[in-house]
Amino acid sequence: MKETNLAFTWRMMLLAFLLPPLLILAIDITCFGSFKGSDSSVSFTRFSNATLTAYTLCSLFLMGNLFFYGESRNRPLAPLVGMLLATALGVLATVFFIGQGPMLLEDNGSVRAQAIYNVVHMFVSTGAIFVAISVVLGVTFSAITSQKPRSNFELEEE
Amino acid sequence: MNIRVSSRGMDEMLQALFLFWIPVAMVPLGLWYSMSTSLQTSTSQGRFLAFSGVVLICLSPWTIPSSPSSAAGHLLGAIIGPCMLILLGIYLISFSGNVPVGKLPRSDRKLGVLMTGVGFVWLVGMHWWILTPQLSPNEINPYWFVFWPTFLLLTSCLASFSAVTLLMIGEQRKAESNAMFLVSGLSCSLLLLGLNIDGPLITANEFREHLWLAGADMVGIAVGTMLSILVFALVIYSYERSLPPPKSISPPTESELKQVSSVIASHLGGEEE
Repeated sequence: MKETNLAFTWRMMLLAFLLPPLLILAIDITCFGSFKGSDSSVSFTRFSNATLTAYTLCSLFLMGNLFFYGESRNRPLAPLVGMLLATALGVLATVFFIGQGPMLLEDNGSVRAQAIYNVVHMFVSTGAIFVAISVVLGVTFSAITSQKPRSNFELEEE
Repeated sequence: MNIRVSSRGMDEMLQALFLFWIPVAMVPLGLWYSMSTSLQTSTSQGRFLAFSGVVLICLSPWTIPSSPSSAAGHLLGAIIGPCMLILLGIYLISFSGNVPVGKLPRSDRKLGVLMTGVGFVWLVGMHWWILTPQLSPNEINPYWFVFWPTFLLLTSCLASFSAVTLLMIGEQRKAESNAMFLVSGLSCSLLLLGLNIDGPLITANEFREHLWLAGADMVGIAVGTMLSILVFALVIYSYERSLPPPKSISPPTESELKQVSSVIASHLGGEEE
């Protein structure tokens, strides 16, 4: 595949991914005349909390993966300390920004309650993401396997 | 009185730790243990640990009703049935088709379609019928507002992505692509219905608010995950860069080259039939 074609394909695939929310947004604005139902400050709070929590939890997960990396590298300590610092930075940033006041506090009264809510919220969101990915992968696979089998040896048969 | 209050608070925290957070930790730990060992007994133990974790999380609304986190356990208990039906149904549909290995009987296809349909209708009934997960009468589980819009929005996006991928990269995959467009359109239609039609407990305005919050949530998760992967790559890169270059060895001598040539020559060719 040529490089220009490849770039075009990727753009089309990205556009296809973004198409449903853009379509819903367009229909919502057309039907109601304005973009209502979304408070930008609440959305920003959710975005920030999700970013901080995803960063911290994913860093923790990747730190666990260093166990497998260390097996091939004589168990070095330096990357482990590096990821530990990166994870600690995520925890500290979360606590600091939530502690600043109402900016990142949703309906929770304290930093600890908000942090725990963020983690549980992340579990639920991740669960929804996993179910959605499983459904789409499964339906794609079942759509492929429901077709008649193809022969890859037409030339040889002739 | 203060001591009594703080002691009660501590008890609640310990209860939440033992009856919710430790079971939550048991799930990935059990899965990791079952996958990282080759022994059959250890694999079973790992699976049992993960299963026990899931059961304890589902029981958390009864074991620790005072903890707000137990609402997540309540949601898991509510959606595990329809989600398992959908996933098992898709598995039956997939493997009763034209697969080279592990093919199931053709009759499993109908059962798979039925299971997927029932699971899907069950989930839809949680929004527009009486099946909505409720912590107490008329109090909807707050995490349902996280799960349902995220699931629908992402399914719609991914199915559309998959349809275009099949069209652009696959060869003669129009029928499969149309099936994926249908899934995307169905999810999109459900989102539009949710934005316009009230359920018995969930209003369209509530759904609209949570849909855009789910969008913000997904963008936040993507950004946070990419940041952590970037940091991980930087840590590994800087460590690998700090390592001394490997010692280079001297080139092979004439006698070594001759020995290698003779070994290769002895393994080349073959007897005429």
